[in-house]
Amino acid sequence: MPVLRLPKFGKPVKYAYITGRVRAMKTKLIPNEMYARMLNMDIPEIARYLEETQYKEEIDALAKDYSGAELIEHATFANLAKTYRKLLEVSIDEPQFLILEYLRRWDVWNIKTILRGKFYGASDSEIMKYIVPAGELDREFLEGLAKKDSINDVIAAFEGTDFAEALSKYDGKSLASVENALDKLYYFRMERAVGGTLSVGGGLLLKYVRREIDIKNLITLFRMNKAGIEASIVQENLIPGGKLGEELSRMAGQPYADFVRGLEGYPFWSAISDVATADLDGVSRIEARLKAYLIRYAWSLSNYHPLSILPVLGYIVTKETEVANIRKIVRGKEAGLPNELIEEQMVVA
Amino acid sequence: MAITDAGVMYGLLAVGAGLATGLAGIGAGVGEQGIGAAVVGVVAEEPGFLGKGLFLMLLPETLIIFGLAVSLILMFAWSPFAALL
Repeated sequence: MPVLRLPKFGKPVKYAYITGRVRAMKTKLIPNEMYARMLNMDIPEIARYLEETQYKEEIDALAKDYSGAELIEHATFANLAKTYRKLLEVSIDEPQFLILEYLRRWDVWNIKTILRGKFYGASDSEIMKYIVPAGELDREFLEGLAKKDSINDVIAAFEGTDFAEALSKYDGKSLASVENALDKLYYFRMERAVGGTLSVGGGLLLKYVRREIDIKNLITLFRMNKAGIEASIVQENLIPGGKLGEELSRMAGQPYADFVRGLEGYPFWSAISDVATADLDGVSRIEARLKAYLIRYAWSLSNYHPLSILPVLGYIVTKETEVANIRKIVRGKEAGLPNELIEEQMVVA
Repeated sequence: MAITDAGVMYGLLAVGAGLATGLAGIGAGVGEQGIGAAVVGVVAEEPGFLGKGLFLMLLPETLIIFGLAVSLILMFAWSPFAALL
């Protein structure tokens, strides 16, 4: 993969256009207080509400093929992909390079989705429902992959690319090791592409991404320590490259109560202090809080660096969370879950 | 004061006056490039912001007025030819 060499001193003025634009786009996101109201609507009402927001175009276009929860699921993913593609289209130079590097996570997401779909024998149209072509791999290519007969055919299509090594970990029995390797590959590639450039913008991207890795690892630790899984297995699942990498790796396999006590004093502790008690049944509430913390972190960093990649990153994660929240509400409603349970899972920064 | 010295001095004054306006203009331009780009970005999403955006864009323009005022003072406050008139 070609690596773009960026100048040592990034000019903040390059970011003026894209940051102005994402800040305006941010005002069009669904306000936090709307989620509580959406919880009290039924699915057609939610669809009607979304028609008044930025999702209008997708809802209108897909309304003839789908209805109910399916319509909203399709429309939100279509809108997400469109929004991210737009960010790439309206930026140039260093911001575009960094945005693409960050959005490559959707390539990983799409490959994972296709592998999972093939693993469980889903049809190609079923798989395409969950595809978000926001990264480098475009819809046509992904559609071609989804139409392939088996997982091995999909893996063969990536021969000669960066993904080949991670995909070779597939053992025919489970996807866990491949998915883990793909996640690690994403962060490794970003470090390689951005880390070598020494640009100020790239440094800020990595600063945020390192915190993101920490939070992801922390969520893994919460889940696995809660389940009482052995330290070596937990460590295998941690993503290297985080700022607190070694400290978190030492926490692997600790008894849950000790692990939670050990987290006091970290910057993210205030976000979870009231829900992270030793006797908590599920970790989903902690997960939601940690994700909300990450969004707040991105926006608070962007206050210090207003003309940088950080407001764009803040927007990207906020938008992703918004789509995830809408889908959680809709799916929860469809399954008849109580509102409190849905609310617990939602990420509100 | 010899008339030639006065001429040189007046010439230098004119250069100073030019620099005052010129450098102020360059400074305002540097300031405006970022604001202009950001305003265009916002207006692309929200056309209603155009009025406010233009106002923000014109803020650095006030610096040129300072420069211009200094130039005018330099040019008209003293003239070596005043005695000749």
